[in-house]
Amino acid sequence: MGATIAKLAERPNLWPWLLLTPLAIYLAIFFLVPLVNVAIMSVTEPRLTLANYERVLVGALYQRVFLNTFLTAGLVTLACLLVAYPLAYLMNHSSQRTAMMILLLVTMSFWTSFLVRTYAWMVLLGNNGPIIAFIKAIGIEIPPQLLFTRFSSTLAMVHILAPYMIMNIYSVMRKIDPVLIRSAESLGARGFALFRHVYLPLTAPGIANGCVLVFVICLGFYVTPVLLGSPREQMIAGLIGTQIEEFLAFGMGSAMAMVLLAVTLAILAIYHRRFGLDKLWG
Amino acid sequence: MDRFLRLIGFLVIIFIAAPLVIVVPISFSNARSLQFPPPGYWLGYYQAYFSDTDWLRPTFNSILIATATTVLTMVLVVPATFALVRHRFYGKSVADLMMLMPLAVPHIVMAVGYYSFLGNLRLVHTHMGVVLAHACLSVPIAFLVLSANLKGFDRNLERAAQSLGASPVQTFIHVTLPILRPGLFISALFAFIQSFDETVVAIFISGRDAETLPRKMFDSIRQEADPVIAVISTLLFAAVLLALLTPLAWSSIRKRLRKRPPAAAFSGG
Repeated sequence: MGATIAKLAERPNLWPWLLLTPLAIYLAIFFLVPLVNVAIMSVTEPRLTLANYERVLVGALYQRVFLNTFLTAGLVTLACLLVAYPLAYLMNHSSQRTAMMILLLVTMSFWTSFLVRTYAWMVLLGNNGPIIAFIKAIGIEIPPQLLFTRFSSTLAMVHILAPYMIMNIYSVMRKIDPVLIRSAESLGARGFALFRHVYLPLTAPGIANGCVLVFVICLGFYVTPVLLGSPREQMIAGLIGTQIEEFLAFGMGSAMAMVLLAVTLAILAIYHRRFGLDKLWG
Repeated sequence: MDRFLRLIGFLVIIFIAAPLVIVVPISFSNARSLQFPPPGYWLGYYQAYFSDTDWLRPTFNSILIATATTVLTMVLVVPATFALVRHRFYGKSVADLMMLMPLAVPHIVMAVGYYSFLGNLRLVHTHMGVVLAHACLSVPIAFLVLSANLKGFDRNLERAAQSLGASPVQTFIHVTLPILRPGLFISALFAFIQSFDETVVAIFISGRDAETLPRKMFDSIRQEADPVIAVISTLLFAAVLLALLTPLAWSSIRKRLRKRPPAAAFSGG
């Protein structure tokens, strides 16, 4: 028996490779090759130049779309934070039962498909929807166009991505030792000072996690901006889709995809060096 | 400060709940277009969904593709997770990172890649093509769930089995697998949902022949906003609710059973 264990301990180096090989081969073929393919197309379609990148980085249309994408992602992240923090606070200061109910609601929202939630916003904000009806009821004759604007797509994205932020912030907030809060209060910290010097630093890791996650997902968001947004104010993913589907411009589409990928990976790399990427989704 | 935060928290609850609640009455509406509140109620759109092959075919495609994706993902991920959690070897941190990469790449980028890559292999617009693509996207999610479970595994249980004479294979089948079963189940469930919900890659590669439900919904919303989507949304919503409430109900039933006097323990012993 002892001999077998010793023998097992002697050859630990072959096993992990054996177990990993099928997945490694699979990912190499069906994940890396398509990705490298995008990189190749971006410099070879329609012919071997860097012209695609030049157009993507210098062209006024593309610059505007990139800027719009960053602004939207920033705005959505900020809005998610403003939505998530009070809710996490409320959950942390409610009875266990209430907190559980809220958590159930947030989880339900999280697990409901992007498309379903996008469609729901279409109903809510549509011309025959309850919000327009309410605006009419309070006496405004010509209600504003809500659907297919920057407002509707931003609002829906905030709704769709808020659960990521809520879960991240709540998970750190619930771990705060109540003794810390009480001692801060006994030392005279009230209201904003308590928030600024106690809550904020203690929940900072959750905030950082949530913000990175929401920002990165929002940068590459396709479905919601395409369905709910204004056609004149596309985001980058929507424009990539148009290039591929409508114009069959694989070179331009790929070049934009590479820029989007580079930005996303750069943000995640900074996060990885500081916290470790596995924590982001854990 | 406290009151202010609570008030905002309450408003946020309404903000989160409203879109989830609104699709249910719409699905029972008898209006031809989106209208809320509905002028009247009927089950017509449910009938429309369950009798229209244009909706049923994508539904079956999605179930088929998600099932195949789950099997493929688990076959690849389970051994790899054992390797990455239980062994130390040169290049492990790179391998760990590689497992998460499909989660880091925006889906639109992968969609462009698959569109041309699977096109070259003549797999675009086939079930096989969608499965092969979806499995890559499910790998990191299945891995994250399973590795968290495996890290919490008490290896002394395996050592105890082996010291009692069980072979490594017997130990794996009779000790490791039963203990890991909930983790394996959740990991597979996540892989399934990831594939079932995946929209962007499916829009570009599934075509008409392997059209998935999200792709059909996306096209339908873009063109006409067919109220049948509200039916599907309600059904999906019910599925999520059921999946979330079942474990909760189960644990509360078990808690209640445990509160009974320990007579059962005697008879069982």
